[in-house]
Amino acid sequence: MKCTQIKNKLSDYLTGDINETARTDIQEHVTQCDACREELENLSAIWTKLGVLQEEQPSKELRSRFYETLEIYKNTQEQETVKDRMGSQMDSWFHRLVPQRPVVQFSFALLFLVVGLAAGLFIRGNWQRNAEIAQLRQEVGQIRQITAASLLGQETLKEQLGETGQNLQVAVPDRQTLLDFLGQTGSSSTVDTRLLALDILFPSSSETKQEYLKTLSEQSYPLTEIAKALASNIGRF
Amino acid sequence: MNPVDKATDNDLMILVRDGRVEKMAVLFERHHVMLFNFFLRLTGNRNISEDLVQDVFVRMLKYRSTYQGQNKFMLWIFRIARNAHIDFLRKKKNEVSMDEHWYEEPSSDPLPLEKTEKAQDAMRLNQALAKLPVKKREVLLLSRFQNMKQKEIAELLGCRTEAVKAMIHRAVKDLGKAYFELSGGVTS
Repeated sequence: MKCTQIKNKLSDYLTGDINETARTDIQEHVTQCDACREELENLSAIWTKLGVLQEEQPSKELRSRFYETLEIYKNTQEQETVKDRMGSQMDSWFHRLVPQRPVVQFSFALLFLVVGLAAGLFIRGNWQRNAEIAQLRQEVGQIRQITAASLLGQETLKEQLGETGQNLQVAVPDRQTLLDFLGQTGSSSTVDTRLLALDILFPSSSETKQEYLKTLSEQSYPLTEIAKALASNIGRF
Repeated sequence: MNPVDKATDNDLMILVRDGRVEKMAVLFERHHVMLFNFFLRLTGNRNISEDLVQDVFVRMLKYRSTYQGQNKFMLWIFRIARNAHIDFLRKKKNEVSMDEHWYEEPSSDPLPLEKTEKAQDAMRLNQALAKLPVKKREVLLLSRFQNMKQKEIAELLGCRTEAVKAMIHRAVKDLGKAYFELSGGVTS
């Protein structure tokens, strides 16, 4: 056996991890090879010398620290076991609640879906209706406010016609009075005012009425048209 | 004697894995001194070695569910021990240099008369061990003191058996040289 092969087996020889044949081969080789014998002797010497390193004992604190840690670990484990047990019980209850057959599971799922959809539609319909009613109420309120504001800002017919109009109702007016009245009411922006003036002027001369009717000619309001037609017809009579 | 005390390490660890964590106490009593000495020869420091032993048993509890059985308890415990040591080295990397400061230096005072030649040898050997690189030291200690087969060490280190054989050879050779130097060139 060559030196390189022997050297490769020296660790086996030292550790005892070697069969008898290989051990004999090494022992025979070193009797003839000084270099290999010297190396084996040196290695064996230090290997044997390591035996003087005797086993030492750790301090007592190591043991107490370990048992303390073990106790804490056991307590933690017990707590986790209780939690796991509770969790598994919950799972078990849930498992019992849920039907096992897929057909029944599907039926339940479908039923819940339909009920959910119906509830959703019902809630949504109510909500929309309520919203519409609220909007209408708001609009009505706004109209009322506008009307009230309009009525507050509008002069009464009597006020618009003034004293002349009141006098015309109780006595036959002269021509100048009629012309004044015509000037006063003919330019009124309110159709109703002019219609009332026309009514007051009904007993007046045909010429006065025609003058006044001209002021109404620009109106497209339906009542004005009716009033013009009536005034014209009455004039013919 | 409690039947549990007769159980093998493998059986006990399976019990621990399956929830009977109190059985870890038996494993502690069986192996904590062996682990302490492994770390003591590896680090040269008693306090650090005790911390590492504690760390190993905590890790055994933490990772108990990963224990596979298959009668490889010693391999498993030393894998955990190596990882604990590697993590320790990583943490301390920038704090102190192991070879310079970790080893409990011998007193510079003259040795007392009662200190035998054996004790001096032990001190020199510890100092010589500290001069070896960590991996060589590990392999040598596992082989010499833990009686692990070269094949098991290879499995533990994740390398080929031939590599472990070569490493043991070189480690013993280097240790001899360091010891010779520390002895002042005088072999005993």
